[in-house]
Amino acid sequence: MEFDSENSHHNKHQLQFLNKPIDGQALKILVEASLTWLRTNQQLVNSLNVFPVPDGDTGINMVLTMQAAYDEIATSAELNFGKMAHAVAHGALMGARGNSGVILSQLWRGFARGVDNFEILDGPKMVHAFAEARDTAYKGVVRPVEGTILTVAKDTAAAAAEALKDTQDPLQILGKSIVAADISVEHTPELLAELKRAGVVDAGGKGLFFLLEGMLRYINGEPLDTAVTTVQPLSAMNLEDTLETIEPGQDYEVVIDFRPFVPLNLEKFYGNLEKMGTSIQVGEGDGIYRMHIHVPIEKRYEPIDYTMSLGTITKIAMENLIDQMQAIEEKARSQKIKLAPVETGQIAVVAVSPGMGIARVFASLGVAGIVEGGQTMNPSTQDILEAFENLPTDQIVILPNNKNIILAAKAAAELTVKKVTVVPSRTVPEGLSAMLRLAPEGDFDSVVSEMNRAIDEVQTGEITTAVRDAEIDGVKVKEGEIIAMLNRKLVYASHSLEKACLGLLEKANASDYELITLFYGADVTKHDAYHIAQSIGEVYQNLEVEVQDGGQPHYHFILSIE
Amino acid sequence: MSEEYTPNGSIFVSPRAVATIAYQAALKSYGVVGLSPKNLIHGLTNVLVKDPTQGVDVHYDGQNIVIDMYIVIEYGTRIKTVAGSVANTVRFQVEKSLGTPVSQVNVHVSGLRVSDLD
Repeated sequence: MEFDSENSHHNKHQLQFLNKPIDGQALKILVEASLTWLRTNQQLVNSLNVFPVPDGDTGINMVLTMQAAYDEIATSAELNFGKMAHAVAHGALMGARGNSGVILSQLWRGFARGVDNFEILDGPKMVHAFAEARDTAYKGVVRPVEGTILTVAKDTAAAAAEALKDTQDPLQILGKSIVAADISVEHTPELLAELKRAGVVDAGGKGLFFLLEGMLRYINGEPLDTAVTTVQPLSAMNLEDTLETIEPGQDYEVVIDFRPFVPLNLEKFYGNLEKMGTSIQVGEGDGIYRMHIHVPIEKRYEPIDYTMSLGTITKIAMENLIDQMQAIEEKARSQKIKLAPVETGQIAVVAVSPGMGIARVFASLGVAGIVEGGQTMNPSTQDILEAFENLPTDQIVILPNNKNIILAAKAAAELTVKKVTVVPSRTVPEGLSAMLRLAPEGDFDSVVSEMNRAIDEVQTGEITTAVRDAEIDGVKVKEGEIIAMLNRKLVYASHSLEKACLGLLEKANASDYELITLFYGADVTKHDAYHIAQSIGEVYQNLEVEVQDGGQPHYHFILSIE
Repeated sequence: MSEEYTPNGSIFVSPRAVATIAYQAALKSYGVVGLSPKNLIHGLTNVLVKDPTQGVDVHYDGQNIVIDMYIVIEYGTRIKTVAGSVANTVRFQVEKSLGTPVSQVNVHVSGLRVSDLD
């Protein structure tokens, strides 16, 4: 089973629980959800320990105990809620680790006894089982210490009993119990002086809260894999990548190393940092914490002041991100594209390109001018004109590389005194194929006729997403489907990019050709592109497959088959 | 037992004092529902005088502190885990109060108390 964060799953989970009685299988799902959520937050629970304690790994212990409980039922097809609860309790007992694990297993034991062997769980049974869980847990110790997981279990059971007055719905009762558990956890430092001194809440209580909350989060379709807060080992912190996540207004990067006076209350720490900025990361190693944050310029000293109130600062690093970003952008711009130098009397080519990557390929083939433009962003006649007006030659070839741009290119050709010919390439592969025939020193007319001939020697495949339902050229497509076009004609529709590519190549009789070049678009990752190229290579073992970063919008892939 | 010499004189902590610390720590340990007298005579005297060190034996040979605990555990809990946790807690509390390392904590489970049968 997977826990997705997508909204579409929201209703699915809810319906699953609203329309069906809560039976043994439902309990299994809920136990897995609570285990997952606790595991996600186990670091936070670990960090809540009163330093130094003998049992300093509450989070891990509770996770291992719950893991054992879940392992016991993972493959069970039991429908009886009570029997399933007994199995959970048995697993928890066998796998109990540490103090918190033993208490947890006792809670499950009492809960299981409370639901006896009832087929399904309803509100009153649930309230009864919560009370049993509390009683059983309290029986396990001579002098119960308040302000611990026991207190949280007690408050949760009390809230459940209270909720029963308003509703019989177990899910609503669960919701109200969890609110009470949360409050109870926050209240633990008031009951236990050690917690208050250390500035933390009780770890076991917090763990119990996460277990309950995990169930509710699953029912509500909320994600279970994103921790509330995380601390990573110092060595694992990767601050280099954070430059990519700069948000507008977050001008300064502040990194502070510090040694806290008392163990850090991570939740509070994160909460306060979130008020200052974004891209928060916290790392820990050997008692030293490192925190990283992006803040607006006027708040650049706030993280320092705040951290100083928590501990001894050992190192501060601050950088102006805007300046850094500018440097990076300038570098990218200077690397942009190197166009071929043109000398007087030579033949110069101006190409229209839909993406940076494709422009680079054209440039590498000796294009002297690039005009940005493509399917939905046709360049104006003026744009094209400007691309060649200042070139130091008067023999110009234009490659429009799109059917819709041919006219604008022809218009530009008439507005100049230079000798301009449009080689009507309708697609990028046609244009590239034509470029291969360019001989800058050659005879203008023969070069142009060579280029015109080259256009017909290549087949063009284009893969895009259908924007509406249609039936074209005998192929039915639905909005959102991936469609493949061969030489501007719709030939194939599919749900996957890979299938669309393969379907297209089959229609193009690709096995009769030698080379396939795959230009992947702005919305396709390099990884995916190579993956598809590999699949193509497996089908067409005699063909050479090349992958190029095209960077074009709208088209996932442009394929050149030659 | 635990001895320390200061300019003002020496500090001597008796095994009985250590046993009291261990006793209290054990009772706060989850899963432990009581400590049991080691033998009949202990049990009889205990009826007359509530002994704060019942079920705890502390030995000190001038170098090592060894503590023996005789505990009753709640039926239905995992005995091994509870016993391990008692040993940890006792060692921690004694070391914290005394500032001297404890070399051994032996936990003897002398019985189980049944509150509920499953």
